[in-house]
Amino acid sequence: MQAAKALRGGATMVQLRHKSASGSELYEWASSIQELCHTHGAACIVNDRLDIALAADADGVHLGQEDLPADVARRLLGKDKILGVSVSSVAEAEKALQAEADYIGLGHIYPTASKQKSSQPIGPGSIAEIARALPLPVIAIGGITGKNVCEVIKAGACGVAVISAVADAPDPEKAVSLLIKKMQSCLQ
Amino acid sequence: MKAVKTDLPRLYMVSGNQGFSCPEKQFPELVRRVTALVPVVVQLREKHLAAKALFELALTVKRHIHATGSLLFINERFDIALAAGADGVHFPENSCPLGKAAAFLSGRIAGKSTHSLEAALRAEADGTDYLIFGPVFETPLKKRYGPPMGLGKLGEICRSVSVPVYAIGGITPQNTRQCLEYGAYGVAAMSVFHASENLEGTLENFHTAFER
Repeated sequence: MQAAKALRGGATMVQLRHKSASGSELYEWASSIQELCHTHGAACIVNDRLDIALAADADGVHLGQEDLPADVARRLLGKDKILGVSVSSVAEAEKALQAEADYIGLGHIYPTASKQKSSQPIGPGSIAEIARALPLPVIAIGGITGKNVCEVIKAGACGVAVISAVADAPDPEKAVSLLIKKMQSCLQ
Repeated sequence: MKAVKTDLPRLYMVSGNQGFSCPEKQFPELVRRVTALVPVVVQLREKHLAAKALFELALTVKRHIHATGSLLFINERFDIALAAGADGVHFPENSCPLGKAAAFLSGRIAGKSTHSLEAALRAEADGTDYLIFGPVFETPLKKRYGPPMGLGKLGEICRSVSVPVYAIGGITPQNTRQCLEYGAYGVAAMSVFHASENLEGTLENFHTAFER
């Protein structure tokens, strides 16, 4: 399982994202990944499906702009669970802040093939702009690799979210630990 | 018999498959026309819609539904049911386990789709408030739901559980009476509401079948 490898490599958060799976499959995955995350001291969050996050007692939910409004989700989720929101502009980030999001996923920073995107990448400059403007941890997403991870961390991202950089790597565990080492070294 | 939290309408309309080009506009209009004439359960089942659009559609149709004596249920997404103030949640056969979702429903009605006696008994044990069983008759959607299981099987399910059972699959006003005679509490349908040239007449015929 990719999640187990990523966790062994030191990933601190795993987001479960599968648009076409049935509710029962999602529930089973969320429950098992949640358990796995906890043995590694990591957090498990579910993309979009707040119902699954609640039923499986996941650590939180991650919402895109086409998902349930973040303020509505926060009411259902309670104060203690993690709420993350995907944003690609200052205005969207401000709305996430008002909804008491715990972090924002900002992107896509670089061109990426992992998700179909109609818009242009927003570039690492946007990280600095939003990190300065708002007291919210910024997780950079979209085309992040070992080659550019220093650039986004120096711009003010507190972390990065990746799909292909880990999932498509020949050794996902090693790919994660290398990314983490790079992030640590570029701040020294 | 387990007390149903609210008196459930006997007619149950499932959204989707109505062939609308613009369900966000046309479906609320259909709901408005139907609920103005008969009490009905409206189950919102629009799998192609993102959660935000589904939430907004739920809010729109809720206005028509709650202006009458009808009820709004949401397919599977109990988070959206809670957010939109719907009356219940309907869990498809391959849903998140009912027992795990139940703690969050805060008194809302929970239902479950079943296609076998075994699944019906399990759903009842998990605390479902009602069942939808089918397909009972031939239906254009049978590729998705399998061959018809017939009135005999419907009767067996209805005798074996104590919760209300809605028959689904090829339901018309003409075969509704048979479903009730075999023990169904009510009938559920999708396409009959839209395919009907004469919606008022169709609803009147359903109403007559329930009254007889």
